[in-house]
Amino acid sequence: MRSASSKDASAFLAFDRSGLAMRASHVLVVILVVAAFGFAAVGAALNDTFYLRLATEALIFGGFALSVDILLGYTGLLSLGHALYFGFGAYVSALVLKETPSFWAAMGAVLAATLVFGFITGLIANRVRGVYFALVTFGIAQVAAKAVYNTRALGASDGLIGIPIVPINLGFMTVMSNAPVAFFLFTLVFVILLYVAAAYLLDTSFGRILGALRVNEHRVPFLGYSTHRARLSIYVFAAIIAALSGALYPMLRGFVSPELMFFTTSGNAVITVVIGGVGTLAGALYGSVILTVLKSVIGTMTEHHLIVIGILFMAVVIFLPKGLMGVIRPRIARRLRGGAR
Amino acid sequence: MTPALQVEGLGVAFGGIRAVDGVSFMAQRQAITTVIGPNGAGKSTLFNLISGQIPPHTGRVALDGVDRTGAPPHLMQRAGLGRSFQITNLFFELTVFENLQLAAQRLEPPRQMLRRIGHGEASLQRVGELVERFSLAAKLGELAGALSHGEQRRLEIAVALAAKPSVLLLDEPTQGMSHGDTADTARLIRDLSRDVTILLIEHDIGLVMDISDHIVVMHQGRMLAEGAPPEVRANPAVKAAYFGDASC
Ligand SMILES: Nc1ncnc2c1ncn2[C@@H]1O[C@H](COP(=O)(O)OP(=O)(O)OP(=O)(O)O)[C@@H](O)[C@H]1O
Ligand SMILES: [Mg+2]
Repeated sequence: MRSASSKDASAFLAFDRSGLAMRASHVLVVILVVAAFGFAAVGAALNDTFYLRLATEALIFGGFALSVDILLGYTGLLSLGHALYFGFGAYVSALVLKETPSFWAAMGAVLAATLVFGFITGLIANRVRGVYFALVTFGIAQVAAKAVYNTRALGASDGLIGIPIVPINLGFMTVMSNAPVAFFLFTLVFVILLYVAAAYLLDTSFGRILGALRVNEHRVPFLGYSTHRARLSIYVFAAIIAALSGALYPMLRGFVSPELMFFTTSGNAVITVVIGGVGTLAGALYGSVILTVLKSVIGTMTEHHLIVIGILFMAVVIFLPKGLMGVIRPRIARRLRGGAR
Repeated sequence: MTPALQVEGLGVAFGGIRAVDGVSFMAQRQAITTVIGPNGAGKSTLFNLISGQIPPHTGRVALDGVDRTGAPPHLMQRAGLGRSFQITNLFFELTVFENLQLAAQRLEPPRQMLRRIGHGEASLQRVGELVERFSLAAKLGELAGALSHGEQRRLEIAVALAAKPSVLLLDEPTQGMSHGDTADTARLIRDLSRDVTILLIEHDIGLVMDISDHIVVMHQGRMLAEGAPPEVRANPAVKAAYFGDASC
C-alpha cells in the first residue's frame, strides 16, 4: 500500500478541528495581549493605580479560569470546588512569603505542594464521574475551606495578613509586587505562560485523549488508554495551573482569606468560563476581564451586582450557549483552515 | 504454533442469567472465525469478556499464548486486541481525521504523548493508509456524526484496526448496510484477514458461509457447535436451534 508522504501528512492537519480551534485561540490571545499592553501604556501615562491593580486581579482570576476550562471544556469534568487549588496556592504562597519574601521560593513551594495535594485529592475526586464528580469536588473544597476557616495558625476567618512586598528577581530586572504597571505586565506574562503550557498540552497526543474522554469516554479504553490515569493526570495539571495563579494573589493584595477557597470563588470561575466560551481557553481570559470589569463598574452603581452577574450568566447560557469566544473563534478557525489548504 | 486467541470455559452471569456459559474455542492466525447465533445468544457479551470490558466469572482468555484473563480493555488493546462495536461507538463530535488519529496514535513511541500530533509520523501515515483502504479520503474533514450509516460502519472498523492489532473483533460490521455495501465489506474483511486474526459476529448467513474459515455457534450462552462452514451447516443441532428460526 502506498504510504502517505510527509506532504500529505501536513495536509491532514487541515482536518484537525481541535488543532485549528487552538490556533484560533492563539489569535484571540494575541489580541488580548496587545490590548493589555495598550492598557498598561495608558495606565502608566495617567499614573493610574486602581485600574491597573483591578486588571491584574482579572488576569490572576483568568489564570484560574483557564484551569477550570481545561477540566470543563477539554475533558468534560465539571468541578464545583476547583477554588480549593487556587486558595491552596494562595495560602502556600502567603505562608512562604511571610517567612521569606522570595518569589521563586513561593512558586517552588506551591508547585511541589500542589503536585502532592492535587494528586491525593484527585484520587478521591476521580473515583466518581458526572454529577457525583461535581458533588465530591464541591465537598472536598468545602471541608478544606472550613478547616482553614477554623485553624488559628492559618489566621482562621481573618486569613493571613501582612504579606510583605515581594521583589521578583527575573535576572535581568527586578519587578516589585507593589509597582502597578510592572506587576501588571509581569502577571500578564505569567498568565500567558500558563496559557501556553495548557494550550501546548491540549494539542499533544495526550491532550487529544482528553477530548476523546469528553466526547465518548466509553471508546477510549479500547484505543489503549486508561481513562482513570488520563483523568487524574489532567486533574493534577489543572490543580497546578490554579495554584500557580493563586500564588500571585497575596503578592497583589497583601493578604489571603478563606473565601478564596469557598464555593463563590469556584462558581465564579465556572461562570467566567461559560461567559467567555467553554472549551476555548482564550474565553477564560476574556471572561475574567469582562466579569471583573462588570463587577467593579456595576459595583460602583449598586451593591446588588451579583444580581446583574446572575442575569448576564443566564442570558449567555440561553442566547450564546457557546459563550463569547464560542461565537468568534470558529470564524477565525475557518480562515486558518482556508489558509492551511 | 499457538493460536492468536484462545478462550477456555469462559462464562459470566447477569443476575442469575448465564449470558455466556463455558465457551471454549480458538481463533487461528490469518483466518476468519465467525460467531453466529440467534439474538440474545451471548455473542456480544462474549466479545465484552474477551476485550476486557466485563471481567469473566469463569474461564480464561489467552492472546498469543499469554494469559490475559481479567485484564482491563486498555491493557487488552496494548496486548494486541482491537474491537469494533455492534452499536456504532465513535467520537461523533470529532472529524473523521481526528477519530482515526486518536485510534492510530498508539503506534507512536511514548515520547510522542507529549508532542504535538503533527509530529506523529507513524500515526499520520497510518491514517493515510486507512482512509485509502476504507474509502474515507473525501470525508476526512467531516464530523463522524455527519457521516452516512454505511460510512460510520466503515469508520468503526477502521478505528478498531488503526493501531494494527494482531486480533480484531468485529461485532456485526455490516449491520444496517445496503446489499452492495455488505458485499464490499465482506471483501474488505477477507482482505484484512491476510494480516490480522479476525473474530467476527455476523447475522448474514450467506456471508458467514462465504468468508469464514471456522464457525462457532452459540445458543443461550452456550456453544452449540463449531467447525468449518460445511460441517456447521450439516449439524442437526445447529439446524434445529439456529437455521430453523433464522430462516427469515
Ligand atoms: N450488561 C448486561 N447486564 C445484564 N444483562 C446483559 C448485559 N449484557 C447482555 N445481557 C444479556 O445477556 C444476553 C446476551 O446478550 P448479547 O448482547 O450478548 O446477545 P447477542 O448474541 O449479541 O445478541 P444480538 O444478536 O441481538 O446482538 C441477553 O439476554 C442480554 O439481555
Ligand atoms: Mg450482539
